[in-house]
Amino acid sequence: MSGVQSPFSAMLSALARHRGVTGSMVVGEGDGLVVDSNLRVGVRGDAVAALAASLYRKVRRSSHAAGFGGVTFLQLEAELGRLCVAGRGRLVLVAVAERDVNVGLLRAEMRTALEGLA
Amino acid sequence: MSDDVRRWSDELARDPASLVFLPLGETLRRRGELALAERVALRGLERHPHHADAHDLLARIAVDRGEAERARDEWGMALQLAPRHAGALRGIGFLSFAEGRLEEAADYLARVAAAAPSDAAAAAALVRVRDALAAGPAAVPTAAVTAPERGARIAVGTVGRERPDAARTLFAEILGDGEHTALLLDADGRVLAGEYLLPDGHDIAQEVAVELNGVSDEAHRAMRHLGLGAWQAVVFETEVATVAMGAAPGGAIVLVAATLATPLGFVRRTLARALAHASAWLGRAA
Repeated sequence: MSGVQSPFSAMLSALARHRGVTGSMVVGEGDGLVVDSNLRVGVRGDAVAALAASLYRKVRRSSHAAGFGGVTFLQLEAELGRLCVAGRGRLVLVAVAERDVNVGLLRAEMRTALEGLA
Repeated sequence: MSDDVRRWSDELARDPASLVFLPLGETLRRRGELALAERVALRGLERHPHHADAHDLLARIAVDRGEAERARDEWGMALQLAPRHAGALRGIGFLSFAEGRLEEAADYLARVAAAAPSDAAAAAALVRVRDALAAGPAAVPTAAVTAPERGARIAVGTVGRERPDAARTLFAEILGDGEHTALLLDADGRVLAGEYLLPDGHDIAQEVAVELNGVSDEAHRAMRHLGLGAWQAVVFETEVATVAMGAAPGGAIVLVAATLATPLGFVRRTLARALAHASAWLGRAA
């Protein structure tokens, strides 16, 4: 966890306590930089932030171009884990999770947490 | 800028005659950076005017820009240089199909099958074209609709579903009458099977596929760097729809789009079933 308390710290701690979540972050969508994070040891925060923001940006643009409108929630499933991203304004909320996480619950919590993103 | 793009750009700066302009241009094209991709391709062609892959790259960029004639010219040039160039044969084959020139499409795609027997996507496309030929003029692709017509609806019109086109109706059994649809795309974002119908019967599958092309590349890139293994699915919810994309064999993609009223778990299950169906179909086509 970063040493500085930010307006997002409590929200990130709550997400990080979710079973199966190995890290949660608030990231700038445009620059992919970490604003605040709560990560387990071994999670490469900077890399996750940059890649999650880039993927979210790509999906958001593609979704608009394809006529589906703005993206509210994104989930990437891989062999060994999941990446969940929800955006609001210029910030995105990112959760790194294990493969068998309860996605429904995590999704609901992330959507609630989004209200805290300015 | 991704590591690969940076590395290739640096190499090209050091050695302008390097062939890395090919993967660099293709990566930029897939990202939708068409102006930059074209500049890279044209500079490469200045150094390698007789390289068939360079003309193939420029043709792909032209297709993405909606310049069909220019693409056909470039692929024609590639075939003059390398008569069995699978990319050029496949490109003209798909272009011909999109333009309703079914016999020409079948001819080119059959030549792909001969030049690259392992190309399951081209083989599947050939099946689709032959189905369309068997179905007659009704199966000729419709003209593209305008963006306002496209809207954001997931329509489940019935127009076209009665066509005896095995590819077009590949997912009909899975989808039933629900408010969702499914497509099978090849690695370059071309529609191999399925349909995306507006209420008036227009099939906008290819338009949707072009716009979403590149998402899977981005997912693959993220997974490669994060060490989470191969990506299996990307699911995103929008203001009006839920879209799920899954990785199929040979770099192909299955896409399921549903209205927001469709439960997320149902969309995910539909994607899994569509992936199994598509994998079996690609296997048969190959």
